[in-house]
Amino acid sequence: MHMFFVLSRLAWRYLWRNHRRTIVMLSAIAIGAWAMIFMTALTRGMVDQMIEDGVSVIPGHVLIHDPDYLDDPSVNNRVALNDAELDERFGDAGFVSWASRVRVPAIVTSERESRGVTLLGIDPQAERGFSFVDYDDVDGRFLEGPDDKGVVLGAKLADTLETRVGKRVVLMSQDPDNEIADRGFRVVGLFHAEMDATEESYAFVGKRTAQDMLRIGNSVSEVVFVGDDYRDVEPIYEKVAALVDDSVRVSRWTEVDTYLGTMMGMMDGFMLIWVIVIFLALSFGLVNTLVMAVFERIREIGLMLALGMKPSMILGQILIESMMLLAVGLLIGDVLAWATIKPLEGGIDISIVAEGMEMFGASSTLYPSFNIDDVILANVVVMILGFLASLSPAWRASRYEPVEAITKV
Amino acid sequence: MVKAGMNIRLLIALLLMATTSFAAADEERDATQIVRDAVNHWRGLSSYTEMTMVIHRPDWERSMTMQAWTKGDEQSLVRVMEPKKDRGNGTLTDENSMWTFSPKINRVIKVPSSMMGQSWMGSDFSNKDVARADDIIDQYDHTIESVETIDDMAVYTIKSIPHEEAAVVWGSEVLTIRDDHVVLEHAFYDQDGELVKTLKSFEIGEMGGRTIAMRQRMIKTDDPDEWTEIAVNTVEYELDLKDSLFTLSNLRNPRN
Repeated sequence: MHMFFVLSRLAWRYLWRNHRRTIVMLSAIAIGAWAMIFMTALTRGMVDQMIEDGVSVIPGHVLIHDPDYLDDPSVNNRVALNDAELDERFGDAGFVSWASRVRVPAIVTSERESRGVTLLGIDPQAERGFSFVDYDDVDGRFLEGPDDKGVVLGAKLADTLETRVGKRVVLMSQDPDNEIADRGFRVVGLFHAEMDATEESYAFVGKRTAQDMLRIGNSVSEVVFVGDDYRDVEPIYEKVAALVDDSVRVSRWTEVDTYLGTMMGMMDGFMLIWVIVIFLALSFGLVNTLVMAVFERIREIGLMLALGMKPSMILGQILIESMMLLAVGLLIGDVLAWATIKPLEGGIDISIVAEGMEMFGASSTLYPSFNIDDVILANVVVMILGFLASLSPAWRASRYEPVEAITKV
Repeated sequence: MVKAGMNIRLLIALLLMATTSFAAADEERDATQIVRDAVNHWRGLSSYTEMTMVIHRPDWERSMTMQAWTKGDEQSLVRVMEPKKDRGNGTLTDENSMWTFSPKINRVIKVPSSMMGQSWMGSDFSNKDVARADDIIDQYDHTIESVETIDDMAVYTIKSIPHEEAAVVWGSEVLTIRDDHVVLEHAFYDQDGELVKTLKSFEIGEMGGRTIAMRQRMIKTDDPDEWTEIAVNTVEYELDLKDSLFTLSNLRNPRN
């Protein structure tokens, strides 16, 4: 232990003997670390936002469907349990939020236009809180109950259809016998969403009204369960799976929206690759600096060896030197990254490129997220890889013949 | 006496294939009855029509000659005769369903609900207009707006407002119907009361034993240059049409 302190002191002093070189190296490491963390925070922020928006639109962290529903979301693939059976099974099972809904493709027609939408027959009270629609931010009003005879469209869709609150539209879909099921609905409200695509693709009607229109009795297309954190859905999944049999399929949201599910897994992999790429660039500078530092003081190393210092101590000293350099550099980089991300956490307005961002499902405000796990990952990876990169110059330094080294010009 | 005469006439009418009531009872008829009579007058209990449909656009125009059979309120079959490349294209409707057949692909396709709003054979009529022409009777509330006398004939202007839950997008439709059941004009208004499109009748004349509109044109208010006109070449009413005419197999393999 005592030896370690001696070596550390030596290393620290050597580091600052050529302070200009050390400062250059420190800034390289600091900027590298800053780039790693800052870029990751931006990407992570964007992906988090995408996933959150996506999950809120699904919505639900665990879902029950007919086994064929995901392949063919038609009215024929309904959950085998009807409303009453669902209530009986899940009503008292202690789920925080759950709801059953009718979800079928439909066509909405106004006097002038028609558009394809997803028709959602919902019980608005059951979905309050986890619906992606903020009930209070609706022009007009939101649905009042499962028997509501009105329809709530997205504001953008209403624009396209040239309709508005108070006017009637016709929703058309198919009943289980492939006959046309249609009905007139009065637009009672227009909802707002982060993305235009969301506003354009959903039409909300009362669950009972939808069931009547589609002539499906009291059956539903899906049952959704929502927990506290979309990253951790296993407990709900297991609880739900235990309550149903094989006639239905229980899925996590990652299976329903595989794009988003993959996205979440990919983000962690991306982070690691990004850190390694930056480190590779950094490592050349690091190794070069160390090689120079060793080369400069061959004679001193020879002298120390001649005085009886063990080669392993030389090795240790060079490694400590490199670790110190990295640690200080990383620390500066971390602080720098934190200082730049914090003021931006309120969101960066990127509405200039919003249309492009929408194409892959991201919104027009970017919220960088300073994720402590990412920071730890970046630091640990750099330290480990830095250690490995320093091994070679340190090893060479420890292998000098004392006499040769002292006499080296 | 008047009443007895009316009853006898009605009886005769019923015996003569019951094309519903006649002008004699005009004062008592309510708006719904006028509309129903007009629809029945136009298609009869059964009918066979040869017609030419002209689709006009600012930069092009095409015309098609078609045969059409109807039976009752629900069944109809339309088959294209001209031009040659479209020959054999057919549309069959039965109740609220609709099928199309094209000899080029040799397939019968059921028109899905998602396509009911789309144009029928490229015209200004939608598939829904064709498949569900008689929704106008019972999915609306009809009121007589005014009665005029033109050329010694009473002309009713009837405002039809769709029921709240009817699958109709229009705010109201205004029908101008002559006392002899000829629809002179059928105007479609949006829910702000603006005129969107009008089906106008021209050349009213005698054909197939009835007075009918021989030329009808659908004009969009916003684009007066875009219209579809249907001219009736020949029409026969009250034929004995077999049910087998309105089947998918007949749609595919014409046997008439």
